[in-house]
Amino acid sequence: MNPRIRWVGAVMLLCFVVLFIQLNNIQVRQAPKLVKNPLINETASSAVSALRLPRGAIVSADGYVLAESKPVHDYWRWQRIYPPLTAEAFAPITGYYDVVAASDPYGIEAQYDSLLAQHESPTNTLGQLLSQHTETDTVQLTVSEKLQVAAYNVLKAANEPGSAMVVLDPRTGAVLAMAEYPSYNPNGLASHSPKVADAAYKRIAAYPYNDSPLPNLATYRPLAPGSTFKIVTTSAIFDHDPSLATRIYPVESSYSFPNSGNPPQKIHNYASELCGGDLAMALLQSCDTSFSRIGVALGPINLALEARSFGFDSTPPIDLPKAEVAPSIFPSPSQIGATPYMGYSAIGQLDDTATALQMALVAAAIANHGKMMKPYLVSRAVGKYGNIEYQAKPQVWRQATSASTAQQVRKLMLGVTQNPAGTAYGVFQQYGQGMPTMAAKTGTAEPQKNVCGTYNWLVSFGPAGPGETPTVAAAAVVPIPSNSTSCATNPTGASVAGPVLIPILRQALGLAP
Amino acid sequence: MPAQAIALRAKPRRRSELGLLLVGLVVVVLAFVLESFATLNKWPPNLLTFVVVSLGLVLFLNVVNRRLAPNADPVIVPVVLLLNGLGWVMLSRLAPYVGASHLAGFQALWTLLGAVAYVITLALFRRSRDLERYRYLTLFLSIGLLVLPLLPHIGETPSNANGARLWVKLGPVTFQPVEISKILLVVFFASYFVEKQELLSMSTNRIGNRLFPDLRSLGPVAFAWLCSVAVILLERDIGFSLLLFVMFLAMLWVTTGRWTYLVIGIIAFAVGTYLASQILHQLNQRIEIWIDPWKYLAPGTAQLGYQPVLGELSLAKGGLSGTGLGLGAPQNIPVAISDFIFAAFGEELGLIGATAVVAGFVLIVGSGLRVALRARSEFSKLCALGLTVILGFQAFFIMGGVARLLPLTGVTLPFVSYGGSSLIANYILVAVLMRISDEGSDEVRSYGEPVPIAAALARS
Repeated sequence: MNPRIRWVGAVMLLCFVVLFIQLNNIQVRQAPKLVKNPLINETASSAVSALRLPRGAIVSADGYVLAESKPVHDYWRWQRIYPPLTAEAFAPITGYYDVVAASDPYGIEAQYDSLLAQHESPTNTLGQLLSQHTETDTVQLTVSEKLQVAAYNVLKAANEPGSAMVVLDPRTGAVLAMAEYPSYNPNGLASHSPKVADAAYKRIAAYPYNDSPLPNLATYRPLAPGSTFKIVTTSAIFDHDPSLATRIYPVESSYSFPNSGNPPQKIHNYASELCGGDLAMALLQSCDTSFSRIGVALGPINLALEARSFGFDSTPPIDLPKAEVAPSIFPSPSQIGATPYMGYSAIGQLDDTATALQMALVAAAIANHGKMMKPYLVSRAVGKYGNIEYQAKPQVWRQATSASTAQQVRKLMLGVTQNPAGTAYGVFQQYGQGMPTMAAKTGTAEPQKNVCGTYNWLVSFGPAGPGETPTVAAAAVVPIPSNSTSCATNPTGASVAGPVLIPILRQALGLAP
Repeated sequence: MPAQAIALRAKPRRRSELGLLLVGLVVVVLAFVLESFATLNKWPPNLLTFVVVSLGLVLFLNVVNRRLAPNADPVIVPVVLLLNGLGWVMLSRLAPYVGASHLAGFQALWTLLGAVAYVITLALFRRSRDLERYRYLTLFLSIGLLVLPLLPHIGETPSNANGARLWVKLGPVTFQPVEISKILLVVFFASYFVEKQELLSMSTNRIGNRLFPDLRSLGPVAFAWLCSVAVILLERDIGFSLLLFVMFLAMLWVTTGRWTYLVIGIIAFAVGTYLASQILHQLNQRIEIWIDPWKYLAPGTAQLGYQPVLGELSLAKGGLSGTGLGLGAPQNIPVAISDFIFAAFGEELGLIGATAVVAGFVLIVGSGLRVALRARSEFSKLCALGLTVILGFQAFFIMGGVARLLPLTGVTLPFVSYGGSSLIANYILVAVLMRISDEGSDEVRSYGEPVPIAAALARS
């Protein structure tokens, strides 16, 4: 054996000798020519721009990594990775980072770019004074992996394109979950390979749905809020004309607007049902005729004032790029100065629009004694040495209404889930076993008259029993297109959005889903 | 104190080892100080800790060797620690620039864990034939480890198109099982070949006027070939499959002395690689990038030629004597701290420093083969040979890849690159070599003074 072992030694020695010769070839023989190559500047100490350095990670409230940079062998050096298990659920929040196209238009990647990208860090030691010192921060969301993935999965299971959901902590404004369906996989868009990235962009452009999923639908796309807007109308009663709260409204199936021409314009209740009674009954049955009367009695100015104090016609100050946060619209008083428009506007139809975020904020304001907290997605940013670079502080965005009005409206909204005639009574009985007392309001907006296509809303907060402090406020919207097979079952806010939102509310309250 | 004097006299090799270790320590500490003055313009802030820990490690390993392997080779451990130390200095200098300062601390931890693994291995395997007994256990273990990265959940999915599927993730710890697997495979093949030596060497089939080995005994060759190709295809890693195959062929040929095996093996591997390159886009691409990386630099593409081109320019910039430790900018090469750390040595220490690293590996390989030559049993001979071949060729593949002598294979440079599994596995490998060396250099057998490899070759 020994002679052959020596042969192996000879071969290995030969390999290393050849390597030595090649090193001489590069480092001595070819070196003068190679160092003249313009690319040699890439080996200068300042060659690598921030684009080609790693970015900080984005982590969920419960510590899951949602985006991170991993070293790769190509020109860009660092590939942005969105771990596959959370990529789609968190895409509307994280956005994506396409370094090749130098674009990160959406989400936390864009909004917190200055913390995620390499940036100058404060000098802590003498040594750092003498060297270039940069660092990236880890950005932590207020959103937990558990709730966000559950929220995305429940929307995905409902399989209705254009759905969105927002869950907030009404006390602070911290976003607990913010999901959209369909979502997209940011990994393809972030790929360094132009082929892969192009295919990913094309795939998203070809989604069988009008709105691109890239901007966050929950903050970007306003839809008619339907009867969930009655929360705002009810607040307007207490703030502007409390006498309407004690009036008894006639039980009727349709209402003819005064001064609306001849023959007068009429509004019919949902499925032409009879409803009416006191304000509590009108709200819990979501009675369109009673609220049309209230709208006419309040007048356009009071309605518009109330809507604006709830944040309509302003862009919510959430920490996302302005390009993907849209204001919710309540028309100006002059536009709805005549009947029947003020009646329609009072029930969230006509030109009223609201994002899922806006309706969640409305619920949160009622839950938080009329104070609407500034919504935020990032709780803090931590530097390399554990130094806190950014810490979110809960702030009041606006005093939407007085504490006493909020108290009254909250009591009325309890009826929606607690009174057997309430529109959400059935669905909370079915899906809300063991839950604390929840306040809610349903909405079924019909953008087109007499066609099935509806936007189905559920807005809810809790625990809302007497003396309890609500910790969760949420809104979900699930559109049913006009050609959907679900039309046969008469979709409503309760029947469509209820089964989607209630399991997430359960989890947000710490119960089994 | 006559007893102590005798004890000292009984371990002359350990005394030389201690001397070499201390020389290496001085070199590493000087490099550390130099690097700090170059980058921070002051003494390293943690110099005392560094000296204490390194000195502790050096003394600890020397004491362990005195107790557990008193007559083993005195060169291997000092050279290993020198490479490890220089690698750490380079890594700690580069890590902050690539946004990963914490890796230097990790690497120090891995080094200490590697030393612990070294001690445990020496303590557990008091005789090399202990290893021979667990032949099939080692086979199953190594195959299990090879397959591990392919399993869902724990196997890390490739993060980009060129990513090899080599890692296993268990909780927060990620490791490359193939690093451990390579040692187990050497042990298995060594014991298998020793038992089947005669069968494998017999020629029973005659084609024309030549004798060929029995087809049945070709089974292991086919098996190993299939394994290598499977590893290429499934884990997309050409480096380790090539390494395993070279190790296998070297051991088979040393056992049997049949050139036929070499020829058949090389042809089979060439065919397998060709077929794989037809199926796998990235393998083909890697070879094309190796042939001409300058073609793959067009802006607006992923610029896959960027890393090899920058590595070559980095070496050229270093020239004969280098830019000086801490004064170059090798951090600009993608993945400089693991795959391309050799280019960092070439840039900052020049041809002289790069040659010193190569010489370090030549010393280890020379010592390893001397261990194989002097080993007492055929099993331990083959074991030492296989382990040396693996270590030497792994170093050659990645250094050759950086110097564009070979296509890039993405294996680590043993003891120098960043990487926990690689460090720990290679320390275990060295421990096994030291165990065999200790048995082989018993006073009973006298081989005279240690001979350099060239002299050993001349004797054959």
